[in-house]
Amino acid sequence: MTARLFVLKTPENQGVVDVAEGDPSISVVPVGPYFSISAPSTIVIDRRATGCRHAVWYSAVAGLDQSVITQHDKDALRVEAR
Amino acid sequence: MDNTVKVGLIVPSSNTTVETEMPRILNRSTSQNFSFHSSRMRMKSVSKEQLRAMNAQRERCVIELGDAGVDVMLYACLVAIMSTGAGAHRAAEFGIAEQLATGGSGAKVLSSAGALVETLHAMGAKTIALVTPYLRPLAEEVVAYIEHEGIRVADWRALEVADNAEVGRIPGNRVMAAARSLDLDGVDVLVISACVQMPSLDLVQPAEDEFGIPVISAATAGAFAILRSIGAPVDIDGAGSLLRTDAAVPAS
Amino acid sequence: MSEQELEVVKPEHRVHGVDHAAFPTFNPAATVRFYRDILKFPVVHSICAAGWGPEDHPDFIHFFFDIGNDDRIAFFYYFGLEPFGDQSAPGDAWARLTPDTPLFFKNSRHLAIHVNDEEDLLEYRKRLDASEWPVEMQVTHETIESIYTHDPNGYMVEITRSLRPVTPEEDFDAVLTIDALVDVFEAGEPTLDALLTRKAELIVARAEQWESAQLPIRDSELIP
Repeated sequence: MTARLFVLKTPENQGVVDVAEGDPSISVVPVGPYFSISAPSTIVIDRRATGCRHAVWYSAVAGLDQSVITQHDKDALRVEAR
Repeated sequence: MDNTVKVGLIVPSSNTTVETEMPRILNRSTSQNFSFHSSRMRMKSVSKEQLRAMNAQRERCVIELGDAGVDVMLYACLVAIMSTGAGAHRAAEFGIAEQLATGGSGAKVLSSAGALVETLHAMGAKTIALVTPYLRPLAEEVVAYIEHEGIRVADWRALEVADNAEVGRIPGNRVMAAARSLDLDGVDVLVISACVQMPSLDLVQPAEDEFGIPVISAATAGAFAILRSIGAPVDIDGAGSLLRTDAAVPAS
Repeated sequence: MSEQELEVVKPEHRVHGVDHAAFPTFNPAATVRFYRDILKFPVVHSICAAGWGPEDHPDFIHFFFDIGNDDRIAFFYYFGLEPFGDQSAPGDAWARLTPDTPLFFKNSRHLAIHVNDEEDLLEYRKRLDASEWPVEMQVTHETIESIYTHDPNGYMVEITRSLRPVTPEEDFDAVLTIDALVDVFEAGEPTLDALLTRKAELIVARAEQWESAQLPIRDSELIP
């Protein structure tokens, strides 16, 4: 099963996209004005690595495709396949 | 159900004519009963300063008449509005209407200034002549005000009376003499009194008969506007053809 | 000019901002101090009236402050009227809520007034901080920065500036979000998780629509 989330293309969200792209297990492709961020079974993104402010961090997820957020706190975002 | 129409009059404190003439006109209506309720704004001398001070009392008068639950309210001082600048009757009427609406009153709002202008438009008057009691500078402002509304004032007279109580005592023959001195050539309508304080009701019909053109006064224009505002027929005898607008044409 | 060019077609969206937003006050003196003297919003209109409608209604005054852009905030002060409800409960002059009502809910209803830049935001912060109603918080959201306080009537007032213009991507995203919200609400399963799942479906379904919409010149790009 694949975990997949969408993030809107905005300047503030770029940190999330950059961290995902730097992770060899994660695939990032544009879909419309969004980035599709996917990985086999689990995606983990470290908040501090993204440099996102809290307000941005907690509103970065635009959509969940067959997936569920299992962690979204000051440390990390974890999305797993359902 | 009592079908009496309650008419509210906002009048200068020194005005005695409007409360005399308006009931005399409207009580001749056969279709409707009227009662009259007035509230007064302090004003003795017709000067710009006193007129401005008087306008500031308007809000209180509207509240007093609103309490009486009147159906229609007439701001009965023409020069107070016309001396405050072109088109001022619209802002004054809007202000009163807004105040009434805010308090949930559905009373119709008129001003003698607006009624005169609107009545002249309704009569299709393009060129008029008029008699005013005012001092010359104020009379000039009244003339300019009417002309700004697209009505040409071909000739006019100012009787130059400043004391408002004295305006209420101007004899009819003096008003008629002024009217007779006007050049009425090409005039559609004669306004025999552009003031609700200068007595003129008994002059309107005789003047119309003498000059052979429609004659109105600030009072008959006000009565016309009141009848129109409440949707009553305009069919009143003996005060000029304006107030017989809706009368059945007699079979010849 | 062709006939088509002469034809004036009115847009569907025809409104022009806030004429006025009106609230009751039981303390007109403090209200005037807050809006006129501290924030320096000019008094622009007032109406004295009595209640002439069918309801029993006290005498009152309705007064207006300019909040820029020809928009106004207005208050009603009713002579002799006492506040309603338990005054120790959370709420404002308009209403008191039940004592257990959480503050986030009480503060959810608020008025946000726009300023152009950081300098202006800080100017209002300075005015409020020197008053009886200092700024309670200053927050940087995703794309805006805001200061908040409660006015003398307990109404939450926000003054806010944009950190950058809203992008076409964000407009598109908002449309999708609201469509997803309506769908999950009407399906009887309104959770954030359900919304994000529904939105993923819409993102995939409408990606092509977004791509093709990028080809013609967009209205938003015509604005300099």
